[in-house]
Amino acid sequence: MTDARLLIEVRHVDKCFAGTGTQALKDVSLSIHAGEVICIVGPSGCGKSTLLRTLNVLEPVSAGEVWIEGVSVHARGARLDRLRTKVGMVFQQFNLFPHLDVLENLMLAPVKVLRQPVATVRARALALLEQVGLADKARSRPGQLSGGQQQRVAIARALCMQPDVMLFDEPTSALDPEMVGEVLDVMRDLALKGMTMCIVTHEMVFARAVGTRAVFMEAGSIVWQDAPERFFSNPENARLRAFLGQAG
Amino acid sequence: MGHLAAAIVVLAVGLSLYYASRQIDYEWRWERVPHYLVETGGTEIPAPFDGTVKFAPDGQSLTLTPLLGGGEPVTVAGFDRIEVSDGDIVFAGNTLGREHGWSAGPLAIGLWMTLKISLASLVFALILGLVVGLGRVSRRVVSRDLAALYVEVIRGTPLLVQIFIFYFFIGTVLSLSAFAAGVAALSVFTAAYIAEIVRGGIEAVPRGQTEAARSLGMSAFQAMRHVVLPQALRSTSPALAGQFINLIKDSSLVSIMALTDLTKAGREVVSSTFSPFEVWFCVALLYLALTGTLSFAVRRLERRLDRHD
Ligand SMILES: Nc1ncnc2c1ncn2[C@@H]1O[C@H](COP(=O)(O)OP(=O)(O)OP(=O)(O)O)[C@@H](O)[C@H]1O
Ligand SMILES: [Mg+2]
Repeated sequence: MTDARLLIEVRHVDKCFAGTGTQALKDVSLSIHAGEVICIVGPSGCGKSTLLRTLNVLEPVSAGEVWIEGVSVHARGARLDRLRTKVGMVFQQFNLFPHLDVLENLMLAPVKVLRQPVATVRARALALLEQVGLADKARSRPGQLSGGQQQRVAIARALCMQPDVMLFDEPTSALDPEMVGEVLDVMRDLALKGMTMCIVTHEMVFARAVGTRAVFMEAGSIVWQDAPERFFSNPENARLRAFLGQAG
Repeated sequence: MGHLAAAIVVLAVGLSLYYASRQIDYEWRWERVPHYLVETGGTEIPAPFDGTVKFAPDGQSLTLTPLLGGGEPVTVAGFDRIEVSDGDIVFAGNTLGREHGWSAGPLAIGLWMTLKISLASLVFALILGLVVGLGRVSRRVVSRDLAALYVEVIRGTPLLVQIFIFYFFIGTVLSLSAFAAGVAALSVFTAAYIAEIVRGGIEAVPRGQTEAARSLGMSAFQAMRHVVLPQALRSTSPALAGQFINLIKDSSLVSIMALTDLTKAGREVVSSTFSPFEVWFCVALLYLALTGTLSFAVRRLERRLDRHD
């Protein structure tokens, strides 16, 4: 496709949940190259979150293969914790650490996991808070922030690890409508800076404007993928057309 | 209004107890209770060996010349009151007199022992409880099984029986002192309850917290250490404090061993003074003071932590 560096690749991945027997992913293949902004859309329960979680091995796959930065996660002795430091993740529910203040939320992993010097990490964390417009909240607790502010902190926290790829799982779905914009602005900013991103979202307008590729999932499979322009305005797949028609 | 009603009830109960005790012809001697706590007589100065007493001219010190001729005479000083006469022959350990000042009475000494044994047990119970609690939520089946078995066995048997086992069996096999056996029994017992509290606290932390930590590259251990446990311990601190208070009260059971804790001291004082009512009330008040101070301190600490949130 492109000659950009291949960052994450999943090939023929199946995922069965042992407890319920649900097959959440069926023969899914996807590759993410440096500089791409991939937007994944699809109906609820189609496996979008599950796919995203296999991309940083939060969820082990039942079959198929996952490579992160050219390293197979199935290899004996693969350092999964190390691989995850290259892949940032932002959750629908923010998942900030409530017992730490904002700055500590950002600094915890770089200091404890990457063992970088505190002063370096602090400087970077403050710069990132500036970037997401929350420089004045460094000493606040997550509980004192609005949803939009919390999600921007969560993005800054993931960025503070200096990842190569950022995964977003419906980052604006838990937000009040008036706060969606501020989070999307931060993400757009990030895309313009050249960050590689994989975004599960229902924000079609945003996906179309910012994405470099759009992916449609249904019932655990990738049904269709295309350039965002054609994907949204002139979908060549009947099921995608039906989905977009419903979604409005 | 409600407070007043409660005060009236308490007063009524107190008065009826008082009149009931009048019926049985009991002589209350509250004035003696302070002496069980603090002895004003000062500590005894014992004779270091068998010898003959000779007063110094100032009357403040004396020299003791060994019997049987062997060795140098020794000067003993620091008396408030000398309780032997010039020329007496004394044997090793006999009281020569008393030092200046106060000394701890039997109940105070017992209180100190209770405090020591509770604090030592607390430290070990916390460590052990944390380990077992982590075992309960471990991914490893072996750890889960062992931790569950531990909790079941300890919570399913009476503490008194456990103390007997630790004192007579484990204590003998490993030749533990009574203190060590007591601390071991109390720690092992309390740890089972702490483990369940810790487990509950860990399970109450949302899964998303672990996922966020892992997605940042933390190992399972780091996620537990830096993210889950701090939240779990914070949310369970009232339950943990309650367990510490139980520990102080449970420690009274070690008085069945050769350990003079507060309860044992109470029994000893009762048997030598025949004032059981005053002494047991006093012992109860001392326990209440310990537990009350602890729960007050914990509440203060929590309010401080809350203000930080
Ligand atoms: N831990 C789990 N155990 C069992 N089944 C699960 C688990 N997680 C997800 N599933 C099931 O797998 C399927 C896919 O779930 P997933 O969360 O990936 O969907 P989704 O596309 O993200 O949906 P949504 O838009 O609601 O977030 C669903 O049927 C869901 O019920
Ligand atoms: Mg989802």
